[in-house]
Amino acid sequence: MVGGFRWAAMFPDEVWEHVFSFLPADADRNAAALVCRAWYRIERRSRWRVFVGNCYAVEPAAAVRRFPEVRAAAIKGKPHFADFNLVPSDWGGGAEAWVEAMVEGWPHLEELRLKRMVVSDDCLELIARCFKNFKVLSLVSCEGFSTAGLAAIAANCRNLRELDLHENEVEDNCLHWMSHFPESFASLVTLNIACLEERLVGLLHRVPQLVDLGTGKFAAQHHPELFSKLESAIAGCKNLKSLSGFWEAGPTYLPAIYSVCEGLTSLNLSYATIQGPELIKLISWCKNLQRLWVMDLIEDDGLIAVAASCKLLQELRVFPSDPYGAAQPISLTEHGLVAISAGCPMLHSVLYFCRQMTNAALLTVAKNCPNFTCFRLCIMEPHTPDYITRQPLDAGFSAIVESCKHLRRLSLSGLLTDLVFKSIGASANCLEMLSVAFAGDGDAGLHYILSGCKNLRKLEIRDCPFGDKPLLDNAAKLETMRSLWMSSCSVTLGACRQLARKMPLLNVEVINERKRGLPLELQPDNCPVEKLYIYRTVAGPRSDTPSCVWILR
Amino acid sequence: MKAVGGYGGGVASPGSVSSVSKAAAATAEAEEDLVVEDVGRGAMGDAEAEVANVDHAEEEEELEEEELELGLTLGAAKRGKATPAMWGPCCRILTAKDFPPLASLASPRSPSASSVSSSSGTNLGGGGTGTGVAGTKRAAESISPDVGSSPHPPSQVVVGWPPIRAFRMNSLFNHFKDNAPEVDAAVAVKKAIVPSRAGNDSQHQGSRGKVMRRSFFVKVKMDGDPIGRKVDLDAHHSYEALADALELMFHKPTKASALAVSVVVWMMADGAKISNLLDGSSGFALTYEDKDGDWMLVGDVPWGMFLETVKRLRIMRTSDANGLSKSVHFGKHQDFYRQRNDRKHPAYGLQPE
Repeated sequence: MVGGFRWAAMFPDEVWEHVFSFLPADADRNAAALVCRAWYRIERRSRWRVFVGNCYAVEPAAAVRRFPEVRAAAIKGKPHFADFNLVPSDWGGGAEAWVEAMVEGWPHLEELRLKRMVVSDDCLELIARCFKNFKVLSLVSCEGFSTAGLAAIAANCRNLRELDLHENEVEDNCLHWMSHFPESFASLVTLNIACLEERLVGLLHRVPQLVDLGTGKFAAQHHPELFSKLESAIAGCKNLKSLSGFWEAGPTYLPAIYSVCEGLTSLNLSYATIQGPELIKLISWCKNLQRLWVMDLIEDDGLIAVAASCKLLQELRVFPSDPYGAAQPISLTEHGLVAISAGCPMLHSVLYFCRQMTNAALLTVAKNCPNFTCFRLCIMEPHTPDYITRQPLDAGFSAIVESCKHLRRLSLSGLLTDLVFKSIGASANCLEMLSVAFAGDGDAGLHYILSGCKNLRKLEIRDCPFGDKPLLDNAAKLETMRSLWMSSCSVTLGACRQLARKMPLLNVEVINERKRGLPLELQPDNCPVEKLYIYRTVAGPRSDTPSCVWILR
Repeated sequence: MKAVGGYGGGVASPGSVSSVSKAAAATAEAEEDLVVEDVGRGAMGDAEAEVANVDHAEEEEELEEEELELGLTLGAAKRGKATPAMWGPCCRILTAKDFPPLASLASPRSPSASSVSSSSGTNLGGGGTGTGVAGTKRAAESISPDVGSSPHPPSQVVVGWPPIRAFRMNSLFNHFKDNAPEVDAAVAVKKAIVPSRAGNDSQHQGSRGKVMRRSFFVKVKMDGDPIGRKVDLDAHHSYEALADALELMFHKPTKASALAVSVVVWMMADGAKISNLLDGSSGFALTYEDKDGDWMLVGDVPWGMFLETVKRLRIMRTSDANGLSKSVHFGKHQDFYRQRNDRKHPAYGLQPE
């Protein structure tokens, strides 16, 4: 059709590029690219930021070819449950293929964010050497590298602005890697690492412009000179907005940061085993806090204090200090959560580990916070009911999804029947990620989710009695999602085989870590599947599967 | 509400086989008797005994119903008592917690004490003691009557639950282990920076020459077998893999006395295999000596932590292992001791019989 879309040629390409630069989301740019060939061409040449939610969804070379001008890339590897040791260590998620393709096709790359990937020192060295204008490196929950690799980054990336390394498994074979940073490091604005505190003090003096600082372990309090050095170094960082770390900080170290508390918008004390009273004292200085991560040592009283002083709080995460309940019970209950929900009007994201909950509390929270975008509640004992009524927590979670119309992420816990899934399927229209464990009565639960939740992208399920039927009945849904993880459910190999045959654009990975018995190809259809990971892809089956992973076709 | 077609009431479709695994007893043949207790509580129906994911997992509800009698198909026993809240199959390594009489550790302290800092000597510098781990308290909890909001039944050890990043778990663990204020800064950093993720470490650190660790070969001795062996822990990513290897290594018939407690039970991939390993009844426990010289039951801690502390292994008769669990150290090693009685705790959502 020669005459069609002639209007696209009415403006030079640069004009369209400029127009596209206003499109806020990749999804919008994707849509624009489908309009006509001209727009496809213009859009792809002007896209400079890509997000690859699943490193196996596309071939690295294909991504690099399609968007040749990328400056910032974010890539995720392993499934989320890898964080909790549910995924075999050799499953995959290696970064080399991506780094090699990027080095080849995106020499001007400035920003790289990797999550849950296996990154070798070779990768880090490649990055350090080949990207001349490299500014931002963020490795979260990664593994496979050592401080030697970090030394290469520190030594070569002269324009580094942000170095964010948190929760990685880093081998420490180069203790002085930070000394490779240049003497005057005016570009570094974000530094989030674990390191020796002496080095930290030295470094802080070189980077007074730091906005985001993550520290490592503070030794016990018998270093008074260190304390005053630290205090003055931190006070010198006038722009500090975000502070994290303080592993095992004794309370005597905390005053070192009082001077910057008022300016802090983000505080992460979730590795610090500081007790309630000290925490309250510290937090009372932080009137502008928007994000707070703490341990449950803060207790209900501490959260009540937070609710009173941190009126700008948007995100709260409360982690358990004692996950296995071996110690004395901490007085952190549903009351703390309710207090925060009542006192912090801007709260929209919560992660809360506790041991008891009631439907009434959840109903109150739902009423107080209709703006939640992320609600993750982890009641640490599986199957815990409402401790007062002994009922399942269906009503409470249903209230959350019905009230919070913008909820994008939800994690369930406690005693739950299929009813909660019915509510979620019906009401959670913005939900993108759902985590389910030890819940539900049967297949209907899964069916409600897969047949509802129209924006669902990631679904991860463990230890639920969901079987083959809802999976097969909702096969098409799986292609609209990024991934599905199911472990310790009731899915059989036969269903997986059927699914794989029916849906060529899905990789159906069956993970079976038991080495005994027949190989998977010879197992009968009714063989149960321990772990199942299904994701959509245009790259076909990957070639780096370990022996415990089978990709069904 | 209209029933969703084909989905019926709260029962998983009969066609779906849930991997209910049988907790078979450790067999007399059992080399190393790593008996995984059956945790399969899958959906109803005629699930065959299958292998479920074997890891150092433990389901409290399983304990509720199983009799812990070797040789019996605990799965069968359970099926009759299926609970309304169904969960998928998991498997479980029985460890110190499952040993019955450790009620002797019960203390008279009231479980509804509020969070007064209780110390068990593991605080690191600083004033109060935060999260000292007090094992005795847990026993007390289970003994006291269930009081509304109060004591929290202790969590059981299920793989990957509660959902806390391995990195964070390791730093909690390292905190507990670090009970000396004068901790060498370099060492502390090493611990902090290089926690090993369960099962993930050997892959990469192995190739790097394992700067930080000892050799991965540890001695294994089995009671009654004069010949000791060595096993390369680096070659395995999980307890189950290790059990497989030990099984092969010690594969020869041994007699052992029947005991009512199985320790670590492996579920088999198919019925045929079960009999080879798990027939008869015998009690063997897989234990290890840690860096401090204490003998611990294998399976208590995530794999990565285990690798950090294990010095050698011993497959001991459970009659001896009973004594072992009494020497379990809380606080320092963060053991997850639980009482049998806990399983009857109504808070677990199960209907009392």
